[in-house]
Order: sequence, then C-alpha cells, then structure tokens
Amino acid sequence: MGDLPIEASGLVRRFGDFVAVDRVDLAVRSGEVFGFLGPNGAGKSTTVRMLTTLLTPTEGTARVAGYDVVREASKVRRAIGVALQDAAIDPLMTGNELLRLQAALQGIPRSAAARRGAELLERVGLTAAGDKRVGAYSGGMRRRLDLALALLHEPRVLFLDEPTTGLDPSSRLNLWEEVRYLNSELGTTVLLTTQYLEEADQLAERIAIIDGGRIVREGRSGDLKAEVGSPTLRIELADGDGVAAQAEAALAPFGEARPCEAGFVAVGLSGGAARMAEVVRALDEVGVTVAGMELHNPTLDDVFADATGRRLEGAAEDTGPDEAGPGTMGSDGSDGRGSGAGAGPGGDGAGPGAGVGGSAAAVSAGRRRGRR
Amino acid sequence: MAAVAADATGVAGADARAQRATRGLRSAMAQVGALSGRSVRNIWRQPQVWIPSIAFPLMFAALNTAALGRVPGQIADQSGGTFHPFGPRDVYLDFLFVATLTQGVLFGGLSGGSELAQDIESGFFDRLVTTPVRRASILVGRLAGSAVLGGVQALVFMAVFLAFGARVQGGLAGAVVLPLAAMLLALTIGGLACAMAIRTGSVEAVQGVFPLIFITLFISSAFFPTALMTGWYRTVATHNPLSTMINGMRHQVLVGFDLAEAAKAVLVPGGLATLAIVLCLVSLRARLAQR
Ligand SMILES: Nc1ncnc2c1ncn2[C@@H]1O[C@H](COP(=O)(O)OP(=O)(O)OP(=O)(O)O)[C@@H](O)[C@H]1O
Ligand SMILES: [Mg+2]
Repeated sequence: MGDLPIEASGLVRRFGDFVAVDRVDLAVRSGEVFGFLGPNGAGKSTTVRMLTTLLTPTEGTARVAGYDVVREASKVRRAIGVALQDAAIDPLMTGNELLRLQAALQGIPRSAAARRGAELLERVGLTAAGDKRVGAYSGGMRRRLDLALALLHEPRVLFLDEPTTGLDPSSRLNLWEEVRYLNSELGTTVLLTTQYLEEADQLAERIAIIDGGRIVREGRSGDLKAEVGSPTLRIELADGDGVAAQAEAALAPFGEARPCEAGFVAVGLSGGAARMAEVVRALDEVGVTVAGMELHNPTLDDVFADATGRRLEGAAEDTGPDEAGPGTMGSDGSDGRGSGAGAGPGGDGAGPGAGVGGSAAAVSAGRRRGRR
Repeated sequence: MAAVAADATGVAGADARAQRATRGLRSAMAQVGALSGRSVRNIWRQPQVWIPSIAFPLMFAALNTAALGRVPGQIADQSGGTFHPFGPRDVYLDFLFVATLTQGVLFGGLSGGSELAQDIESGFFDRLVTTPVRRASILVGRLAGSAVLGGVQALVFMAVFLAFGARVQGGLAGAVVLPLAAMLLALTIGGLACAMAIRTGSVEAVQGVFPLIFITLFISSAFFPTALMTGWYRTVATHNPLSTMINGMRHQVLVGFDLAEAAKAVLVPGGLATLAIVLCLVSLRARLAQR
C-alpha cells in the first residue's frame, strides 16, 4: 500500500453546502497513466487541486509520492509536476524566462536548468518560440510550454488537468505522444483528467469515471466496456429488408438482436470479433448476401451512460461518426438499461421509436438535453 | 574508540546540517532573485504601469507650480517675524519636490499589489504555489518590483526637478535619503496592496484603494505646510505619519542634511513597511490555510 504514487481514501471537498468531491478513493500504481474522466463540474479539478496541495480536503486523506498532502505538503510539491487546467501562464514572460523561473522555484542549479530547459523546449517543439512572450503563443503552444514547465524537475508523479481541452486534433495527438513517451521511457506516473472519451481510451491504462463528485466506475477501459455488454455487429443486407427475417433467424444463435435501421440487421455478438467469420458463413448458408459489416464495440460513453444514465458531453463529436450510428442511439435515456446481459450499446427498447432511422432527430435532441 | 567514532558522526551530522542550511539559503535567494527579476521586468514591460506613475505626478507638479508659483514665500506670523513656508530660498518648486515624489511613489506602489491580485485572478499564483517555493519569497519577489520602481521614480523626479531649478540643500547625503525613503514607502504601499490582493484576490479591489491613499496624501504636509492649515484638517495632517516622513525628507531638500530628520524620513516608512509585510504574510497564511 505504502508505495503507491497516488492514493486517496474517502476524499471529500465541500464548498459551503455544496459537495464538489464525494468520498473519492484512488489507488494509482507506479508507472501508470491513470485517466480521470468526467463531464464539466464533475469534480476532476477539485480532486487534482487537493492532490497537488492547492486545496485542503474537507474529509479523507491522500498521499502523493508517499507523502500526506496536508501534513507533508512541501514534500509533495517537490515530487510532483503539475499542469493545472486554469492556471494562466504570465503572458508578459517568454518561454525561456518561465523555464528559468520554474527552475529557480524548484531549486535546480542554473547550468542544469539551462540544459534541461533547452532539451524540453526542443521536445515540445518550442525552441524557436523560446524567446517570444507567452502572450503571443497559441493555445496549443501554451499547453506544450505548460507541460515543459511541469517536467523541468523530472517529477515522479505528473498531474495533467485537461491537458488537451481546446487543442486542435494534431496538437492533441502530439501531446498524447509526449505523455506516452514520458510514461514509457521515463516511467513517470501520470494522472490525467479529461472530458474526452477517446483521450482516456487512448492514453490511460486505467480509468476512473467521475460524475457529480463521485467515482461511478473504475478499471481498465476494456474491462469497463466489457461490463456494459457485448459489441454490436451491424450487417448491411445486399438484398434489403426482404431477407431481414431470414437473416435474424440465422443470427439468433450469436446473440440477441439489436435495433437498427431498415436494410440492416444487428446482433449483440457474444464472443466478440472472433466470431464474425462464423456469422458470414451462417448467413451464407441461408442465402443472405452481406453487403457490409461493422462491429461496434461498446464505448466509454456507453459505460458512462450505463453508470449515470446520461451521455458524456461532447461524446458525439469526440468518438467519431461511426459510433454515432444506431448502436448508440437508443441509449440516451436511462430507462433502456438494466435488461441484463444484453444491455449493450444498442440499449434495448429505449422508447417507441427505438431502432429506426426516423428517431435519430428525437434521440439526438434528447441527448443534448442530457448533457447539461 | 567508540567515543571518537560518535564524535566524528556528530561532526559529520553538523556539517551536513550546515550544508543543507547553506543550500536552503542559496535556493531561497535564487527564488527571491528570480521572482524579483520577474516583477521588475514585468513592470518595465507594461509602460502603462510605469509611465503614468512618473508622468502624472510631474504633470500635477507642473500645474501646481503654474497655479501657485506666485504664492509669497514669506508670510508674516503673529509674533512679528517672517515664516518661510517653502524654505529659506522661498522657492515653491523646492517645496513641491518631496510632494511629487511621495505622490508618485504612492501611485506606483499600488502596482505591486495589483500585479499580485492579477496573478491570483489568472491562476499564476497557483502555479507558483504548487512548487516548493517559500511563501515569503513570493511576496518579497512581488514587492521588489514596487521598491525598484519607487527608487527609480525618486531618481527621475530628482533629475527633472533639479533641471527645472530646484535645489537639494542637504547635498549628496540628503539626496540619498530621498530614494531610500521612496523605496520604503513603495514597500509600504506595495505591502498594503498585496495584503489587500491576497484577501480579495481582485485587481479591482486593490485599485479601489487608490482614492483612499490620495486622500491620505492630501491631508498631510505634502502640498501645503501644516502651519498654514486650520481646524481638524490641520490636526489630522499634523498626526498623519506621511507628514512626519515628508517633513523629514523635505528637511534634506530645504534646509540641509540632518540625521534626526533623515531618521524620520526613513524609519517611518521602514516601520510601516514592516507592518505591511507582516500583514501580508499573515493574510497569505490565512488564505492558504482556508483553501
Ligand atoms: N472554489 C470553489 N467554490 C465553490 N464551488 C466550487 C469551487 N471550485 C469548484 N467548485 C464547484 O465544484 C464542482 C466541481 O468543480 P471542478 O472544477 O472540480 O469540476 P471539473 O470536473 O474540473 O469540471 P471541468 O471539466 O469543467 O473543469 C463544480 O460544480 C464547481 O462549480
Ligand atoms: Mg476542471
């Protein structure tokens, strides 16, 4: 227990009567990238601020790098690197000046600081901008500088609070690369908060989903998804709806039918992708020609929806068009859940219009409502 | 043998401790140095901060001399003698010099507090606080900018006033007292503004103090000799610590160098600065504790 880089038990933070963080337990292992996923106002930043000694917990305890965040705050500060969500970088200073200041604050000798600062600027692609004032940096450049600042003293534990919010896709990818590098090459333990499903999926070995101040799910992304249900196999029928009945009959042994639009059939494929070939053969045997096939795995959004009954904000943009298909559409409401093993991403029978293209508009409106 | 060995480790322990202390001191100095560098540089990079704090008091001085330049330098007092409110040379400019200096420093000193409030508002302060930096270093670093600006203001004002014919009777010694007092006064105002910034975290709140400081300046001996005032105004002005400081500084200009007067000029703002900084530290501790 004692050597976990980040551990929290029963962490509570109230602001007046409002409970921002509610009995959060965390155990982040050494060398792990841990994702803290949640919508706006979930309590991510508040948790990070407690772990980085900026806020005192109302209740509970937390240890970072082996030190208590309240009683041994200064030791914690020495061990951690922090890129806060809304801590502006002084726009009047240049990148190099900020690195020098950070070095002095971290007690790094000047010569070592200069070398390391140059190295980090190079790595985050800011060498040319090092002598420019931060006021002239783009959002992405600031984020990268922020990362360089957090890394200057080679922290054992790194906190990144929404490091890619507001970044364009390519800057986001760069930052991901950097986090992966830090983690795999330097063994830095990273706690990263995000509202982006894909980011949590791509970067984090384990994920905690937080909503309303509480951790509602925790585990490996794959396991969390598997808990939600089997993937949906969506098959386009070459001969249209006329053969849908035959197709569904042939598919019955593979799993329960899932709603989808006309000209398609869908099935919750127990056993996963490995059985796709079998499906094709089975359909072939009954004379159904397959025009196309897509396997939709449950997404973290489905996990989130399963846990909270709501969709995560921005999920539609974030996960890409193929996952906004009928497989996920039916499940915007919470009531379609809970029908046991089959409650996959298709959510079964979420309202009268479930499963047909015509309900898409209504469903997405519902989704939007669910976001706030 | 055992005793010797124990002794040796004792010595080694003390050595290590001394080394740690030296290292700690050196890193604290480096922190203060870096933070002070930042605050001085940032003021320099914001001409909208330092230009008004030099230009406005000079403009005010120009208006004042134009308006009051012909006020008689000699006034008959009740006992039949003559009173020289503007000093033996009877030059209003000589008298005005210290007033302008004080006004400028009060004006500029607020910038330190505004900058800290700015840091708190923008979250840069949080960035600093997540590092192992000493809390006091953050304050000292922030105030250094104010102090340096105060010193620079004093030198600029002195140059301008001398160019326009003012004279410092106290010579070099007297002239040294002025920037010194100015820096301490800047620290006082900067410290008060910082305490305010720490308590409120709002730039507006800090800048809202501005009129209050100006009233304090106007009810002092800055622009008129207290001897010419009447009633409660005179009472307040006489007891205003700013008047004590101003009179001490003014003595160097109008009369000549005088150690007792110099002490007043320096010790009053020195004492106030100490109080202000203590207030600041207490506020900071409170702010960090109640988070
Ligand atoms: N200092 C504060 N005083 C009062 N309420 C606060 C304070 N800080 C945070 N809160 C509230 O606590 C809740 C959690 O906020 P927090 O910033 O931790 O959310 P978050 O998960 O980081 O959200 P986001 O994705 O928008 O950054 C919010 O409802 C917020 O309004
Ligand atoms: Mg946040």
